[in-house]
Amino acid sequence: MAIIDARTLPDASHLEADLVIIGGGLAGITLAKELAGGPLKVVVLESGGREMEPETQALYAGACVQKADGNKDRPLHEFPVQSRVRALGGSGHVWGGKCGPLDPADFAERAWIPYSGWPISREAMQPYYDRACDMLEIDRFPPERPNAAEASLQPLALDARDGFFPAPRLFARISGRTDRPAFDRFRTQFAEAPNIDVYLYANVVRIRRERNTITGLDIACLDGKRHKAKATRYVLATGGIENVRLLLASDNLGNRHDLVGRFFQGHVTYSNDSDAQREGSAFAASRAEPLDLYAPALRYGPHCVIGAGLAAQKRMKTGNFTATLFRANFSNADAKVAAETQTISKVSAQLDKGQAQPNLLGFFAMTEHFPHPESRITLDQSQKDALGMPRVNLTWVHGKKDYDDLERSIDGLAAAMGAAGEGRLCWSLRRDELLASSNASRHHMGTTRMHADPRKGVVDADGRLHEANNLYVAGSSVFPTSGIVNPTLTILALTIRLADHLKSEKKAA
Amino acid sequence: MSTRRDLLAALVALAAAPSLSQAQTSGFLPGLDKDAARRIGEAWRKAHPGDTAKTLVAKLFPTGRGPEALPRLRRAMAADFRAGAIFAHRGWRLSNTEGALFALVSMET
Ligand SMILES: Cc1cc2nc3c(=O)[nH]c(=O)nc-3n(C[C@H](O)[C@H](O)[C@H](O)COP(=O)(O)OP(=O)(O)OC[C@H]3O[C@@H](n4cnc5c(N)ncnc54)[C@H](O)[C@@H]3O)c2cc1C
Repeated sequence: MAIIDARTLPDASHLEADLVIIGGGLAGITLAKELAGGPLKVVVLESGGREMEPETQALYAGACVQKADGNKDRPLHEFPVQSRVRALGGSGHVWGGKCGPLDPADFAERAWIPYSGWPISREAMQPYYDRACDMLEIDRFPPERPNAAEASLQPLALDARDGFFPAPRLFARISGRTDRPAFDRFRTQFAEAPNIDVYLYANVVRIRRERNTITGLDIACLDGKRHKAKATRYVLATGGIENVRLLLASDNLGNRHDLVGRFFQGHVTYSNDSDAQREGSAFAASRAEPLDLYAPALRYGPHCVIGAGLAAQKRMKTGNFTATLFRANFSNADAKVAAETQTISKVSAQLDKGQAQPNLLGFFAMTEHFPHPESRITLDQSQKDALGMPRVNLTWVHGKKDYDDLERSIDGLAAAMGAAGEGRLCWSLRRDELLASSNASRHHMGTTRMHADPRKGVVDADGRLHEANNLYVAGSSVFPTSGIVNPTLTILALTIRLADHLKSEKKAA
Repeated sequence: MSTRRDLLAALVALAAAPSLSQAQTSGFLPGLDKDAARRIGEAWRKAHPGDTAKTLVAKLFPTGRGPEALPRLRRAMAADFRAGAIFAHRGWRLSNTEGALFALVSMET
């Protein structure tokens, strides 16, 4: 119906609805869009205004340190505030729009990966992925790979038994950074529906419950006003970090089994440039034709990464792994190193395919970040924000298996490429340099993980909190495992699935 | 003892069959940086101090350097990659067979 500034309401207003969505980011908006025009009266409570504002953004400040096996701790204290946006549309203001579905392997329970396995299959997700693609106005990802268009771009001819495959990635333009008018339509038009109200500057600071039922929400505005909201059902959609903060700050809601905030997973990319001693991360393709499928001329265009499917993971006893190829400038390397790189790539291209001119590309590696109970978000009761909420403390842990598997996957891919005569891989990062050389993505996953068993997960397969009959969680915090692909398409797909569930529950009632 | 001439002939034989005649006329890898190749070969030799040019020729070209030398080398490289017989040089993952080839180059240039 409207987008309303909660600061303009009389103090101590009471908002009522059938469903309250806490958080107006891409997840919260997707849910509201799915319910727009339907029978449920929906209220969206959003902390920010339409644009990023320093005072609101400061509510996100916290602390973060990355820890990894055999590496020096890396403080990243700006991460909680710099890796997300607190305004209507959430991090959609700045996201890159890179999309892809999780792989079938990501959903599988893999005996060699503790805590792996989703209570949903990739197959069951297909219709929701399709609808998420439609919502983001990108092509759908059919389950068969490679599709005809990809095949015509000549994927690397690796031995199928090695289990590596071209995994597609597309870019959505619905982002504040890419197509502002499209993003604005996405984040506001749904509020014209008669059953939807969006309240801006409405910070939920506490979720109240009696036994297993959520009874209401406390709302605080930065100007000092306080309101309340009440609904039959609630959906928490404040992002992978804030979902935890709000639950823990609400008397440890959902945390009976000490799981809320644990298993934080964040993607990182690994790569390096050449120096006087070594070549950086590189791929010398032996074929002469450009590898447009993997490294298109347009850096942010549709492309494929080289992924490790379930067969590869089983064989190598690793998790998911991808290599992303890109066109790079190799002219700056140390002269000796550069000459050796040229020589190696020329000789291998000649040996592999009789090609005089190899095709040198840069690459970066990504591995699935394994669920680790000590990788976690806690609250620092000694540090409070302007609304009195304790700040978050993120300890982001990579275990020995994370790095063992990264190195095994690189070796596995190098062997598959060499054996197929497709080229040679260069990987010169030492174990003790991995953390310092990695780049943190802004994906916050796993902290309210989904599992059918309440002792193993915070939410059930529908996204409902095990400890409450009327509170659901949306967003990447419900991912049990992280896969590798950027999470937002899956966030949207799961949210659409949740919307269907909420609609069917209403019908049944 | 193989000579530099032998090695060049071997390298010519390494070119894929369709480009063989071209390779024979224009020379194999006209832009090959011999210093770089030598350094790579020396690095391999450090890890394999026992090998001589003779043993390397015997390993790499057991049936001579005829047209079947290249397919044989390709099979050997693939087998190396499959068996984890890898020579890592400044981060590059090469097959042991390639390392040996570079070593041969380093001994004969
Ligand atoms: C620079 C950058 C680049 C990225 N690039 C990509 C990419 O290419 N591909 C990809 O898949 N992902 C990318 N991401 C991640 C992507 O943006 C997120 O996965 C996605 O936006 C998460 O959506 P969400 O709605 O779950 O959470 P958020 O976007 O965090 O939204 C949460 C919403 O809740 C609101 N909120 C928070 N606390 C409260 C509270 N207490 N009360 C009320 N409201 C509250 C916030 O203001 C916000 O609007 C990127 C992120 C960043 C920062």
